[in-house]
Amino acid sequence: MPATDELIAKLSDGLLPVRRLHPPAVRAAVWVLLATAVVVLLAAGRGLRGDIAAMLGEPSYLVQIAAAYLTGIAATVAAFEVSLPHHARAWSLLPAPFLALWLSGFVFGCLGHWIAIPFGAPVVADSVSCLATILAATVPLALVLWIMLRRSSPLRPTRTALLGSLGVAGFADTAHLLIHQVEASSLVLAINIVPVLVILAVGALLGRRGLATAGIT
Amino acid sequence: MEPAEPPAASQAHTLAERAADDWSSLMARAQDGDRRAYAALLKGVVPYVRALARRLGCETDEIEDAVQDVLLTVHTVRHTYDPARPFAPWLAAIARHRVIDRQRRRFRRLSRETPFLAEHETISADPSNSHEDASERRRLNAAIAALPANQRQAIEMLKLREVSLKAAAAMSGRSETALKVSTHRAIKRLRTLLSGT
Repeated sequence: MPATDELIAKLSDGLLPVRRLHPPAVRAAVWVLLATAVVVLLAAGRGLRGDIAAMLGEPSYLVQIAAAYLTGIAATVAAFEVSLPHHARAWSLLPAPFLALWLSGFVFGCLGHWIAIPFGAPVVADSVSCLATILAATVPLALVLWIMLRRSSPLRPTRTALLGSLGVAGFADTAHLLIHQVEASSLVLAINIVPVLVILAVGALLGRRGLATAGIT
Repeated sequence: MEPAEPPAASQAHTLAERAADDWSSLMARAQDGDRRAYAALLKGVVPYVRALARRLGCETDEIEDAVQDVLLTVHTVRHTYDPARPFAPWLAAIARHRVIDRQRRRFRRLSRETPFLAEHETISADPSNSHEDASERRRLNAAIAALPANQRQAIEMLKLREVSLKAAAAMSGRSETALKVSTHRAIKRLRTLLSGT
């Protein structure tokens, strides 16, 4: 018997029923709801930033927090879409406009309100607290998203992992912006943007490897 | 008014659509564990995958490996297929990805390898390159010489000279079955002689 026929016989003889995946939009919606709940719980547990009432009247703050949240949603939807074999790569561009808005918020916020940090200001303590918030949001969200994306056995693990990491970073920064009073200094810019880049890099590397073993590459 | 589609083209189109519908429903049944539907589906998609592999530049000797690779991938990710969507684009995406991946791996391997040419040999004559080979060959020749005439004739024609069974039967005047039996016995005897048991 030719090898291909033999393989077909083996695969069909050992066939087991499988549970079909839900549509990507439904799976993305489940994760977004979970991520939103985590952000709300963190904000409730750690308390909103002291100047939240004033900030809600500040358009730049509203734009930045909305951009972070929408980047999180769009990147998650895109990750679930590109994880499937037949879905167009163009989905990867879905978060691009929100990402541009979000990143421009970092840069313009910093350039527009550049201030020196007064001597003795509790920068280190604040930084540690910021990082704690980001980690508290990132770790559970990344873990759940990774498990959910693994089910897709992605053909494009790097792209999927990168988009998933961007989704997690968007939600982590939303929590950060709700909880912490961010001063526009280079250090704080670093505190904002470096974790985002670290989440993306770690997510792309570890996520890619994990997703690739779940899949077929 | 649009010109009417020629009957042959229309028939081909309908057949293609029907095949795609069939694949879709076969896959839906396979996802539920229907083995016969799955075997029918895999057999049905093989020519399509083979053609795609050829179109993507697979070497002739690699096409079957590529097809098997695609079938294994389809098996691994079969839960990701949504029966509400057409099957062919799903399969094509997997096949294209796997074939291109294979090609990439092959080119990477080839770029690291250097072809082994005659000038890479220290001494080109075969026996000079391996004393062990020469001694093994002597032992084998002695063992073949020790075989009964019928068995020696069968092994020399079919295994050493690689004459086809039909031609060997015609040349020796013995039946094909007799040659097969002699070869089988000769190999058994050689194994005993060479292993020393």
